Amino acid sequence: MAELKMAPFDAANIPGPKMGRVTAPVVLGKMIKRAKRPLLICGSEISEDGMIDKAIEIGKKGIPIAATGNAINSFMKKGYTDNVKYFSLHELTNCMRDPEWKGLDGNGNYDTAIYLGTLYYYASGLMSALKNFAPHVTVLSIDRYYHPNAVMTFGDIWRKPEDYQSMLDEVIAQI
Amino acid sequence: MEKIKAGIFDIEGLENVKIEIKEMMGEKIPEEEWAPMGPTPMPKIADLREWDRVLLKRYPPFYAPQCDVCALCTMGKCDLTGNKRGACGLSLEAMQGRIVLLACLVGASAHAAHGRHMLHDIEHMKGDLSKIPIDFGTEINVEAPLTRLITGIKPKTVADLKEVFTYIEENIVQLGDALHTGQEGSALDFESKAYQMGMLDSLGKEAADIAQMAAFNFPVGPGRPLLDVGMGTLDTNKAVIFVIGHNAPPATNICDYVIDHNLEDEVDIGGACCTAIDSSRYSTIVKLACSLGRQLRVIRAGLADCIVVDEQCIRADLLYQAQKVGTPVIFANDKKMHDMEIRDGDDPGEIVKDLVSGNVPGVVLLDPLNVGEVAVKVAQQMKPIRRKKGWTLSDEEFKKQVEACTNCGNCTVACPNGIRIGDAHKLAAEGDISLLASQFDICIGCGRCEQVCPQNIPIISTMIKAAWPLIQAEKGKIRQARGPIFDTEIRNVGAPLVLGTIPGIIAPIGCGNYPNGTKDVYTIAKEFGDRGYIVCLTGCMLIDTGLYRDEEGKTIFETHPDVFDRGGIINIGSCVSNAHIHDAAIKVANIFAQRNIRGNYEEIADYILNRVGACGVAWGAMSQKAASIATGFNRLGVPAVVGPHGVKYRRAFMGRKDREEDWYVYDARNGEKVYVGPVPEHSIIAAETIEECLPLMAKLCMRAADTPAGRSIKLTHYMDLNKKYLGAYPDDWTVFVRGETDLPMAKKAEFMQMLESDHGWKIDWKAKKILEGPTVKYDPSFDPTNLARLIKHKKE
Ligand code: SF4
Ligand code: SF4
Ligand code: SF4
Repeated sequence: MAELKMAPFDAANIPGPKMGRVTAPVVLGKMIKRAKRPLLICGSEISEDGMIDKAIEIGKKGIPIAATGNAINSFMKKGYTDNVKYFSLHELTNCMRDPEWKGLDGNGNYDTAIYLGTLYYYASGLMSALKNFAPHVTVLSIDRYYHPNAVMTFGDIWRKPEDYQSMLDEVIAQI
Repeated sequence: MEKIKAGIFDIEGLENVKIEIKEMMGEKIPEEEWAPMGPTPMPKIADLREWDRVLLKRYPPFYAPQCDVCALCTMGKCDLTGNKRGACGLSLEAMQGRIVLLACLVGASAHAAHGRHMLHDIEHMKGDLSKIPIDFGTEINVEAPLTRLITGIKPKTVADLKEVFTYIEENIVQLGDALHTGQEGSALDFESKAYQMGMLDSLGKEAADIAQMAAFNFPVGPGRPLLDVGMGTLDTNKAVIFVIGHNAPPATNICDYVIDHNLEDEVDIGGACCTAIDSSRYSTIVKLACSLGRQLRVIRAGLADCIVVDEQCIRADLLYQAQKVGTPVIFANDKKMHDMEIRDGDDPGEIVKDLVSGNVPGVVLLDPLNVGEVAVKVAQQMKPIRRKKGWTLSDEEFKKQVEACTNCGNCTVACPNGIRIGDAHKLAAEGDISLLASQFDICIGCGRCEQVCPQNIPIISTMIKAAWPLIQAEKGKIRQARGPIFDTEIRNVGAPLVLGTIPGIIAPIGCGNYPNGTKDVYTIAKEFGDRGYIVCLTGCMLIDTGLYRDEEGKTIFETHPDVFDRGGIINIGSCVSNAHIHDAAIKVANIFAQRNIRGNYEEIADYILNRVGACGVAWGAMSQKAASIATGFNRLGVPAVVGPHGVKYRRAFMGRKDREEDWYVYDARNGEKVYVGPVPEHSIIAAETIEECLPLMAKLCMRAADTPAGRSIKLTHYMDLNKKYLGAYPDDWTVFVRGETDLPMAKKAEFMQMLESDHGWKIDWKAKKILEGPTVKYDPSFDPTNLARLIKHKKE
């Protein structure tokens, strides 16, 4: 696959000197695997482009899921709610800023936040909050968009849903 | 001058003359003592800072930077990432507070300047301001609650508002100064200043609205007639004048001209945004054509024969867009002149000739009294010229354009809502226009897509063409604005509101930058109206709510009365009118609870925060005004939810229910610190989707002083809405349960069971009582306050 572009989905979403690195799926998968307290954050676009099934696969590998916006309904429709919890992304990000936060399960804050199926501009703004004010959280994006406020992110792939799905499979294979 | 001797004088024949003495030997006569003056009349920057600190401790600012650099002075650009400070020493966090203050400054200035501008216009149009009484009838004795609360002034005539604006203007300048490089350095103090700015904004809105209500005799009170709303209501069999903006005097002059010359059958006046709302308060001949998001579409659909704009939220490329469809433009406000010539003083016939012939694309007319004649004549003369041409795409042209689309996706990346226009064009090329037609409503009409299309496809026009049958059918109704809430209404609902049996006041306000179309705003109003909340709407959200009908073909304004009572759906008015929503909350404290409001901001905000269940929602918040409006609501103790685009305001105020220490208040009876739980949990937060927004708003109506009956009702709606929109009861519902009487009545047994089995609470099933579990205790005579100075008797 040709190298993907650092092209934000909102063309003008260029935050400044610190921009997310376009990263290969295998590397992103390894980062997730290596995380001690990962959290998969699924947003209101999770039902598109087969992302919900991939999210469930990741969930089944033991990574807890925060379903934001209306994403919880997509998980319920699929009958998968084992380690999925509804949470507002705004509120969740506010909590994650605080290293002392107890997490969704009471066992402490997360060291890695992984984004999938998010509402682009909303998630991007909130990733920026973590990037700038929560050095204890590593922000990874496996969304179909290039996310400049993540540390590592897929490039711009929203136009090619099939390629995107294979990229997600590559990530999952590493976990 | 002859001296008047001491004594009683009988001046024969002058017994009906009223003598008002304002100044004596250069000294101002003190205002009549209508109420004792509170501690903070006309507060300056630091005067309410302690109250701000109370709020900021519970709801500390959360920042989501849109940009990690600063370029406000020439020492920059400064890279503020990774905890670095700018060359002036400013941190990224403080920089965000600075941007928020700047946004609030712009917003508050817009409202205050609009008000001041209107005083000048009113003086010019109606004469001496001191002859225009502020008197809204026998049902309203507390006419200007925010003015009384903030300034201590009880304005009697429109002239009295001058002093109010002087106060606002001075404070805006002082706060603007704090934005300069090398001034404020603390994010928290920037936020305190933003609160101050938000408060000034609320005051400016109130003064602007009561000035226009008094000067133009706007109707007051419920039972207002129904008005037409929607693009489909514009009647192109007539000459159509399209008014856009917020400052209505020029539009009122158009109404006068049409009525005085009996032209109602020949001329149609439709408006966008608040000018539409306010001029429809002046005359019901005005149609509310659209909110902000449809502005460009009305123009590009070629519906207008003459466009008249005043100020705020009007497209900056208006002239360019209007020229595409051959519509002349009149600029009627000096804040927006677009390089056109000022033509006041010229012969109206000459101006009309220049506009109709296309000699000039637009003119500036700064005197509102000059606008009506020119606008009407231009529209009348343009009508036959413009009707010769079709302004929507022909079938062939449409086909050609959609077939030219390569689905490259450039438009989608440029689109604020990421609309997949290419997919829709592809389908349309295959003969299915349904997707493209459905995108018309999700589109906010910004025009960014067209500029990046390599095929030069006029996307706005292809969407209009696809949606044309929907546009023609867009014919809704809203009630005319009713302005302030009656004192009698407050008397009736004060108790149920404070006790919580009317679960809350819901205030949908503000702009049309919705994430997913206009239907959501109808859903919000309907959901809460049907549940017995009082829904007070203003601005663009108001207009869009009127577009939808139920199964029986009725709009929500036809199924619900416009009364300030259970289930009322009220058109309060334009953006400046939403001050009356603050006012309703203040009047609850004043009229129902008998609190003195004069110069007493902090105490009343504290009262509202702890007792008055209210929640604003700006689902399409876009403008800087929306920022200052929301911040003003927040300082007064009213929380608000914004749509997902609202995250771009950069700052939210969210509480943390897991931090118990944040939720203690005093019991004013004895000074004891009491844990009240997270109520209201947030001050301002952006919801991602409508499903998230609805339960969240219900939750934010809970207050520390809720009675068990009230809490039970509020909790019922919170849980119900969660189940309906998010598929399950919320995880956090137990933190709001203080005892068995707080539980939703209809499902008490089910919930007790859940408390026992899922949460380990102890239940006495025989007595149907909770024995152990709740962290909050309910005490019927509890008197919550966040202000130590209100404690009556300190516990030894
Ligand atoms: S104001 Fe401060 S942070 Fe901004 S550019 Fe100037 S020195 Fe840099
Ligand atoms: S930018 Fe133009 S060509 Fe590309 S997808 Fe959009 S409409 Fe089609
Ligand atoms: S005009 Fe509509 S479709 Fe085009 S970019 Fe703006 S919102 Fe998107």
